[in-house]
Amino acid sequence: MDAKQARIQELLYELKVTDVMRAGAITTRPDQTMTEFRRIMRKHRISGTPVVENDLVVGMITIADLIEFLAAGEADCQIRFKMTPNPECLCSDQFMVHAIRQFDASGYGRYPVVDRQSRKLVGILTKGIIIEGMLSKMAHALKEEEIRQYRASHIFEDINAEYKELYLTYEVVGKDFDRAGQASTSMKRNLKRLGIQPDIIHRLAIASYEAEMNTVLYSDGGVMEFRIAPEEISLRIRDHGPGIEDIEKAMQPGWSAAADWVRELGFGAGMGIPNIKKCADKMDLQSIPGVGTTLNIRIFTGNSDQTKSVQERNTQDSRAK
Amino acid sequence: MTLRDVFTELSAKILCGSDEQLDAEVATAAAGDLMSDILARLGSPDVLLTGLTNTQAVRTSSVSGIKSILVVRGKPVNDSMIELAREEDITLAVTELSMFTVSGRLYAMGLRSGMDSD
Repeated sequence: MDAKQARIQELLYELKVTDVMRAGAITTRPDQTMTEFRRIMRKHRISGTPVVENDLVVGMITIADLIEFLAAGEADCQIRFKMTPNPECLCSDQFMVHAIRQFDASGYGRYPVVDRQSRKLVGILTKGIIIEGMLSKMAHALKEEEIRQYRASHIFEDINAEYKELYLTYEVVGKDFDRAGQASTSMKRNLKRLGIQPDIIHRLAIASYEAEMNTVLYSDGGVMEFRIAPEEISLRIRDHGPGIEDIEKAMQPGWSAAADWVRELGFGAGMGIPNIKKCADKMDLQSIPGVGTTLNIRIFTGNSDQTKSVQERNTQDSRAK
Repeated sequence: MTLRDVFTELSAKILCGSDEQLDAEVATAAAGDLMSDILARLGSPDVLLTGLTNTQAVRTSSVSGIKSILVVRGKPVNDSMIELAREEDITLAVTELSMFTVSGRLYAMGLRSGMDSD
């Protein structure tokens, strides 16, 4: 099924009467006269009202009742004698899908909406209000980005397999500074659409961006491969060289191979790799001089003990200083 | 205080940004020219003050979840930076004031550090 249709159907099951109804309905009292009712209907351009006494719905009076009354040519009388007493009501916490079924089954054009506990009138629902309310909720729910998020976040639910994982690959061009970071920012958007927790996205985006910058600044380009599995997200970056001579040294905070132009870009303070390490749950850096470097980053998405919180990360960081 | 109020107070010129973001309340800020330093702090302040005028300042903000950048010392901002900021839905403004003065004024206005480790 089309994602929009699926979203609309789901919306019907998510929305409650209170989300769609018109609050503060125009009401009448049982002791008002039919002439007064006629005036109220004309003034507000409505075709019926709940009849309320002490905040409780005691009846419904509609244009059909008025026509009948006028046709009979009777003397003016109180609404209580012409209304439909003890009408069916909807509860504000009912789901819209049930309310719509009730409209269908009864053929009524309007329902008073009451609070389930107090039974007091809280609003009114008519077919017109339903159409108007549903359209505005839909317009909101169907914003493009939300549709994309909705579609993507259901990938893992909708696809059946014993083991599910998603691979996304990006080419990184060496020394292309203007586009540097593009893979990481678009990956961040993807993860958001997939419905990954914000904390995990934040950490992965930073680790990925630092790694991408390293690849752009110091290598001849490479490939970033993201693997998204239910319990972890990992990133492997393999570059085409030239490789790192002394990995131990490269891992030390403050050590940098950066030339002045790299520093002018706001990088090259020797914080990239320590930064990646801080964001990742597991990090592994291997390099063969003259061949290339491979960096592996893993971030666990489950709420397992392996996952460190941002708070812990920064505490560790300040201790290290 | 809204982002627009902050920019007005600092006589900043808005280069791009939606009304939604300009009318949003701001409470936190961070300052730095070294993007690795911003990235290392794992925070998402409401405003980033920087003297760095290239696309990487925008990328860093995007990656860190920072929604607006204020360029200090009136440094010229090139079109590719503005274009990327628009693409990434980040508000961009520039003020003639120095990083020190802007930081002090914002602190006096009640803004505080937006970094997790402060």
